[in-house]
This record gives sequence, C-alpha cells and structure tokens, in this order.
Amino acid sequence: MKRNTFYLLAGIVALAEVGIFWLSVELERPILIQVAFVLGVLLIYLARRRVEERIEDERTAMITQKAALRTLEVFWVVFFGVSLGSAVVAFSRPLGLRPPHPGPPNMAPVDVLELPFVGGFALFQMALLCLMIFLYVGFRMYYARKYGEWDRDEEQD
Amino acid sequence: MENGIEMKNRIKVYRAMHDLTQEGLANELGVTRQTILAIEKGKYDPSLDLAFKIARFFGVAIEEIFLYGDTAERK
Repeated sequence: MKRNTFYLLAGIVALAEVGIFWLSVELERPILIQVAFVLGVLLIYLARRRVEERIEDERTAMITQKAALRTLEVFWVVFFGVSLGSAVVAFSRPLGLRPPHPGPPNMAPVDVLELPFVGGFALFQMALLCLMIFLYVGFRMYYARKYGEWDRDEEQD
Repeated sequence: MENGIEMKNRIKVYRAMHDLTQEGLANELGVTRQTILAIEKGKYDPSLDLAFKIARFFGVAIEEIFLYGDTAERK
C-alpha cells in the first residue's frame, strides 16, 4: 500500500466514525460508536503495517517517544488537578462516606450520579483527551523539527 | 548533540565516493531518507547499531565516519 493510500484510508475511517457517532446518538446506542471506534483504530494499525514505503525508523521512534513522554508529563498534572476538583465536588455530596445533610423529614434521597451529570462528565473527559491530542501534536512537531524532519537539502532542490 | 559534545560525520563524503544518493543509502540501511539527512546535518546522532551498519556498508572502521568531540577537531 502506498503512503498516500494509507492517509486516504485514515481520512475515510475518521469520516465513518463521525457518521457512526451521529447514528449512535440518533439510535441511543452507545455501544455502536464504542465498537466502531476500536475497530477503526485496529483497521488503521493494520493498514499502517502494510505501507510499503518506510515511514518509521529509530529517529521517528525517538521523536514519538519523546513527544509521548512530554505529553504524559504535562497531561498527568492537568488531569490530576482537574480530578482533585472533581473529588472535592464528589466528597461534598452524600456518597455514604459521611452522613447526608439532614433534609425535610419526608424528602426522598437524592441520586448521587444523575444522568445529565454523567453526560457532562463524559464531555469534559473528551475535552481533556482532545487537549492531550493537541499537546502530543505540538510536542511531536517540536521534536520533528528539532531532529530534522522537514529539513531540505540540495538533493530535493 | 544531546550532551553538548558535537559529533561530526563524513557520510556525505563517503556517499559521494560511492556515488550514492541519500535515498539510496537510506534504502540500503533500512531507514528513511530524512534520517540520513538529519545525521549528515548533525541534527541526529544515530544509534550504535545504525552507526556500525553505516560503517560496515562503506567497508571502513566506525571512527573513519564518525568523529567524536575533540577527535573531530584534530582531523
């Protein structure tokens, strides 16, 4: 498989994932997009192994490693900070760890995890994952530039 | 140049002697052309494995191609 064919396939898979996500929302079936996403990633990994032109070697592996490490270093701080905030919110509510605030005598117990709250949290998680992707792309571009990914010389001119 | 000591190399010279392009050498060594270019420009120091592969490909000792720190200045 040519490198451009691979990129084309990756684009088609990404578009299909968007379509399946929409379908999943319409049908209210979360499992659809969950399975489709995992299958899509598997398909892209398999296709990448069939690319004839060499696109990876020790230098690109090092760029990937460095970018991934830096992303993790930054991301865990952000994620832990946000999670600490969430923990404070969670522990401020009755979770069984401490007695709930006394309410009116005949009041029903409040659900701890209401569905809109879970949905909001999922969106927030996705936003954090997007941040992680942006961080990774940024670091990758930095290291790719540092290690001569886009350098040109007389052979190309 | 990770530790501040510059490592020079003479890959470009040996390539010219063997009438090889960067692409050709990259294909022979199983790396990308950009990696050969990055090594030639001193932006990336190859692993010991790749350095030996390059030296063996040109049929010379590794020190003939890669000059480390003060060795580079003396030559």
